[in-house]
Amino acid sequence: MSDNRYVEIANLTKAYPNPFGQDVAVVKDFNLILRKGEVVSVIGHSGCGKSTVLTMLAGLNPISSGSLVVDGREVAGPGPDRAVVFQAPCLLPWMTTFENVMLGVKQVYPHGTPAERRQICEYYLSIVGLADSMRKYPREMSGGMQQRVGIARAIALRPRMLLLDEPFGRLDSLTRMDLQDVILEILDREKITTVVITHDVDEAIYMADRVCMMTNGPEASVGQVLEIPFERPRIRADVLDHPNYYDFRACLLSFLEKQEHNKSSHVEAFEERQRQERELQTSASDRQLETEPASV
Amino acid sequence: MAESKLEKFKYGLLKLIDVSGFKVFDPVVRLVFGEEPRKQAGEVLKFLVTPVVFVLLCLGLWTVIAPRHKTKSGEVPTPVEVWDAGMIANTLNERENEKETDFALSGSQREAEITLVQQLLAEKKKQSEQLKAEAEKVAAAATEETAAAIAPVQKQYDELKAANKGAKTTRSGEIKKLAEAVAAGSATAEKLLQAIRDDNLASDEARDAEKELKDHMDEIRSNPPKAVKKTQLAYDAAANEVQHLSKRLDYLQKGNRSQKVSQAEQKTLAAMSKLESATTSSAILSAAKSVVQGEEKAARTAEQSYPRTATIWFQVRRSLFTVFVGFVMAAVIAIPVGIMCGLNKVVMACLTPIISIFKPVSPVVWLLIFQIVVGAFFPDPESHPLFVFFGSLPWIGELGVNPALVFSACTVAMCAVWPALVNTALGVSSIDKDHMNVARVLKLGLWSRLFKIIIPSSLPLVFAGLRISLGVGWMVLIAAEALSSSDGLGKYVWDEYQNGSSHSFANIIFACFVVGIIGFFLDRIMIVLQRSVSFDDGAAVV
Repeated sequence: MSDNRYVEIANLTKAYPNPFGQDVAVVKDFNLILRKGEVVSVIGHSGCGKSTVLTMLAGLNPISSGSLVVDGREVAGPGPDRAVVFQAPCLLPWMTTFENVMLGVKQVYPHGTPAERRQICEYYLSIVGLADSMRKYPREMSGGMQQRVGIARAIALRPRMLLLDEPFGRLDSLTRMDLQDVILEILDREKITTVVITHDVDEAIYMADRVCMMTNGPEASVGQVLEIPFERPRIRADVLDHPNYYDFRACLLSFLEKQEHNKSSHVEAFEERQRQERELQTSASDRQLETEPASV
Repeated sequence: MAESKLEKFKYGLLKLIDVSGFKVFDPVVRLVFGEEPRKQAGEVLKFLVTPVVFVLLCLGLWTVIAPRHKTKSGEVPTPVEVWDAGMIANTLNERENEKETDFALSGSQREAEITLVQQLLAEKKKQSEQLKAEAEKVAAAATEETAAAIAPVQKQYDELKAANKGAKTTRSGEIKKLAEAVAAGSATAEKLLQAIRDDNLASDEARDAEKELKDHMDEIRSNPPKAVKKTQLAYDAAANEVQHLSKRLDYLQKGNRSQKVSQAEQKTLAAMSKLESATTSSAILSAAKSVVQGEEKAARTAEQSYPRTATIWFQVRRSLFTVFVGFVMAAVIAIPVGIMCGLNKVVMACLTPIISIFKPVSPVVWLLIFQIVVGAFFPDPESHPLFVFFGSLPWIGELGVNPALVFSACTVAMCAVWPALVNTALGVSSIDKDHMNVARVLKLGLWSRLFKIIIPSSLPLVFAGLRISLGVGWMVLIAAEALSSSDGLGKYVWDEYQNGSSHSFANIIFACFVVGIIGFFLDRIMIVLQRSVSFDDGAAVV
């Protein structure tokens, strides 16, 4: 497959049944194409289905319809080729930092010698700045440090794709900036195709080559895609000083505001439609009931 | 430098206290190290001194209330009596130990021991005689005293009885006369009836009065002066010691293993010389037979061990071993099955009816079932390889592993398996979804998923289940042993209940405390294990 269409998300839909047995599409007809090595951030209001898209990409959540292709292969279940960094660090608390990273490395380098594997683990842990904390248990570390381990664990897999699910959502803003730089540094070096889910406008702009804005759910999809042309490697001060930065920011914010504004009317219309459908169904089943005694 | 070492020691100690679940002693340690003395003293007062005072109060209440309740086996023993009974049980154990060594002693050691025991015996005998004389003297004095106390009452009683008898005769005579008068028509039947009623009433009253005096005499008789009991007990104890020492002497002289062996050897030698000198074929044959017999007997005797009577500490060890076997059986079944249940909903659905139906079944029922089932496996327990194997092990061999132990252990396992199973299943099925997602993303195989994620994550709950299991098992075991007469603490209690000596009741209560204290320590051990596998460092269970 060409590097321009490294990841293809076409008409991606996820539907869950509601208590009345109807399918409610959380995400509907989501379309996005990523180039190889591109970083795309997905932004939207909370609950709009950003994470659903990401978990489907990771293969943790089966898709209802549409297609997901990564590097020419249909996504069928989770795998270490699409590494995920979750919002919570998700470290295994009974393992040290090193062992947590090693767990994945062992899977990805089944033929490596123990020394090679150890070197890999040590290398990635040192990249995220944890060279001194390899023997520590997660409970002995701060949230930021734990998330660094999560990042090291993900990139140590040498994935085709890196999926970041609001990775800094639970961290304070100083730590968050630190970690953004850590990730950007890695991405500049490793050129991994990345999707970052976020609800932070500045983060979306600072990290991504393109920002994908999602409409509000239900039936969320891509509302608008914004190209961020800042050159890499990025330096925070330069980005903030860039003349276009505030335009981008304004563009994102106005989109999100519009979504918030539309929200009530949008949801009401959706619920009205559902209710009508339900009434249709019930009347149909009533008719069925009426005819039933005759058939017995 | 020294101070930091001390600090290190202090925090090590505090950690130890924390892990072992004895948090109560935390302020004591801090107080000893002089950390915030005022606050720590307050803590000690609140959480250590107050409970101790409360327990002492309970003991006091027990001491006061117990003697007021008279039962078929005497008064309810007070704490002091229970303690004494425990000490006596302990002495019995020590005496068994002595006899056991005596049985095995040989050569010059035996000789030395004989002289020692003889000396002791002579001393004790003398002491015992003295005590006996004193006890008799006190008893005689008491008898006199009692007789003196009873005499006036007896006199009163006799007088009353005579008076009552006289009155009764007079009344009967009057009634007879009245009856004649009624027959003659000079009196009404009504009057006669009234006279009979009055007579009955008067007799009842007289009987009551007599009974009261008699009861008074009985009371005097049944409450001899305290000194009598005391001297008698002292004499009993001495006599007991004398008996024990003569038993020891017996074991050293006649019952001793080396003596028995040499006797058998001498017999063999005699038979041997007979064999050499014998001329007829029948004489040769019988001599040869007795040689072989003698040899066999010598060999058998050399392997003999002292036939111990089961003392309380032996029963404790046996119960602990049985509960351990049962607990291991329960864990070996519960953990894998629980993991399967937690992983697979179908397995869970299959096992749910079995778990829910068998869980509430009483241990007594299981005991009977296992007694029948296990019994069938060992038609000839003496020679069964399993028991021969256990019999040959050190420590365990002397506990006497037999089918009774096996089915007691099975009963323990059957009752203890459920909490561990249910908790393991819960632990496995409630694994953090994020951790499972990590496993899915990494595409971990079944084994690494099991050993790297599922088992470590469910271990705290597994151990919580095992802890409950051990508690249940210990409780069930005591009941099972009491019911099945399988050696152990339960049987000890049951035997005490059956033999009904003066110490029995106190022994039972002492055993009750032993069971409780052992149960407490088993629980503590499980807490320590549970704490040591808890990865989150919290989940402190007390």
